[in-house]
Amino acid sequence: MSENQNEELYPESLMSFWMKSATDFWGSTYRMWSDATEPFQSKGLKSQFQKLESAPKMWQSFISTLSTPESVNALFKGTSILPEAMLQTLQSGWGGYSDLQKEWLEKTSRIGKRMEAYKFEDIDKDLFKAWSEVYEKEFRQFLSVPQIGLTRFYQERIGQTLDRLNLFEIAMSEFMSLLNLPMEKSAKAISERLEEATEKGELSENFEEYYREWIKILEGHYMVLFKSTEYIQVLNNVLDAGENYSSAKNHLIEDILQSSPVATNKDMDELYKEIYLLKKEVKKLSKKGS
Amino acid sequence: MGETKIPVDLIIKKLVEDSEEAYKTVQKASDVLLGPLDTQIATTPYEVVYEEDRIKVKHYKPKTGVKLKTPLLLVYALINRETMLDLQPGRSAIQNFLNEGVEIYMIDWGYPARKDRYLTIDDHVNGYINNVIDFIRERHNLSKINLMGICMGGTFSVMYSALHPEKIKNLITTVTPVNFDTDQGLLHVWMKTINADKMVDTHGNIPADMMNFGFLLLNPARLMIDKYVGFLQNVNNKTFVENFIRMEKWIFDSPDIPGETFRQFINDCYKKNLLIRNKMELGGHRVDLKKITMPLFNIYGKFDHLVPPEACELTTKAVGSRDTEDVRLDTGHIGIYVSSKVQKEFAPRIAKWLKERDKSEKESPGRKKPVARRTVAKTKATVSSPKKEKKEISA
Repeated sequence: MSENQNEELYPESLMSFWMKSATDFWGSTYRMWSDATEPFQSKGLKSQFQKLESAPKMWQSFISTLSTPESVNALFKGTSILPEAMLQTLQSGWGGYSDLQKEWLEKTSRIGKRMEAYKFEDIDKDLFKAWSEVYEKEFRQFLSVPQIGLTRFYQERIGQTLDRLNLFEIAMSEFMSLLNLPMEKSAKAISERLEEATEKGELSENFEEYYREWIKILEGHYMVLFKSTEYIQVLNNVLDAGENYSSAKNHLIEDILQSSPVATNKDMDELYKEIYLLKKEVKKLSKKGS
Repeated sequence: MGETKIPVDLIIKKLVEDSEEAYKTVQKASDVLLGPLDTQIATTPYEVVYEEDRIKVKHYKPKTGVKLKTPLLLVYALINRETMLDLQPGRSAIQNFLNEGVEIYMIDWGYPARKDRYLTIDDHVNGYINNVIDFIRERHNLSKINLMGICMGGTFSVMYSALHPEKIKNLITTVTPVNFDTDQGLLHVWMKTINADKMVDTHGNIPADMMNFGFLLLNPARLMIDKYVGFLQNVNNKTFVENFIRMEKWIFDSPDIPGETFRQFINDCYKKNLLIRNKMELGGHRVDLKKITMPLFNIYGKFDHLVPPEACELTTKAVGSRDTEDVRLDTGHIGIYVSSKVQKEFAPRIAKWLKERDKSEKESPGRKKPVARRTVAKTKATVSSPKKEKKEISA
């Protein structure tokens, strides 16, 4: 490969070559088009074209200047700064991100610590308390990060809906776990009863007897549970959380539907209320009239 | 939880022994379930004589001839449907009333849509019920008709009778809560703590599935396990399966509850217990139970876990009427209407009570009695041997 060929491969030479070719191509194209349309050009139009001629000439001289090796070098020196700047930006961004990630990891490790604090023998209520605490202290804040920009309201709604869904799931799990307690307790009671009967050799061949006994025990456990203040509290929590989630989800759907030609529940409720009040008034007047 | 020694070997031995019998049962069950089943409910013929918005009024006429001059309007609750009163031949309160020669009108509340969420108790009592009663009065050219309420429909009937005593000849309340200040039933305990405002604001109407789940939770051991174990044990019995499916159809055929009605019912009745204290207001009018001066027949179930006796038994003492009677049946909330044993007595007893008070009273509906309402009721009470009775009947 000759020295000249080598030079042509360098960006400076390539740039200069491309600029010259482009100028030549567009210059000749413009002249051809100008010559071809000359017979059809009116006086006014001609003068417009003459004015326009100056534009390609200016472009030509600008490109010619740029195509000199010195100018191209200067241009490329400028562009070489760009990756450097990008690298610096990325580094600082990555640093921030890794700091954030580090913080997240720390938070995650704290989850384990929090869980260890509760004994699994007494898992019944403490687990859900721990779960709820972990979520509220370590995760929830990510869904509440202030949103910015044009779509901030929508992002906020999504965050809010996810938050409410998580809280509802926690409350529902606690509720279901509480409902399961009588099952566990009655199963234990009946298995002890079976064990006792086996040891005494009094095991009945009719297992329906044991089923009846189990159902009776289960019913008793449920009655005790349902009257407890703890159950009533958990029941109200799950209803409350469910309603919060339902409400957040509905608001999100209403936002999404805003751009569609569909009436939302909110729109319809307003309309229904008006109809309801009007109907009531009409009935009242109609009764008065008759 | 410690380990227990369950005699698995014995259980397996028993299962093997029973397997042949189980096979036969499954085969028969398959024949029953895949064969034709009559599971229709509410088959007694009727005519729809009145319609307003979502509600309809069904009219049932006795085939053997009308024996009572005054027709009876049945007002069911907004929870579940009135089809329970005509569940199946042989277990139909409607049929039994017709056999006694009682002409029946019954409100079908229909299925509230979202547009009905703003309807209040006032709209149901002073709106729909009042319009239906006016329609029947006009149709029969009577100034008063007989009114019977069931559960929440009974509470509405009590409110109506207090606000419009001039239109009601006799009032019958069945499993009707009027005193809500009791901890006897779980429903009363739970309803006192729920946030009805938030529920209504979120859902609009209260979803039927939510209510049904709540009712199942009142006794999950029986309603979610034992009931279906019983079904499996009898799945080869066609009649049992048919009856079971009819009941399932009725239980889960639930309309939503209009939001504002639910809100007021929970807040004013369950939480504040305003009705029995004569402090409840409907459409700006105070509901004074002392204005209930017509004869009152109050029936409730001893083992009712939804509307316990304590919620029902104070009604007769709270009203102004001197002709009142309490009857406590040895049955539950639904058993009153569907138990074959109770049915033998329920409708005939009500019909007898009505017949005793069914003196001729044909008047034009628009004509008002010149005498004060309370005085009229007292006079009537004297005619029909005024008494405050309490009876217990074993079902």
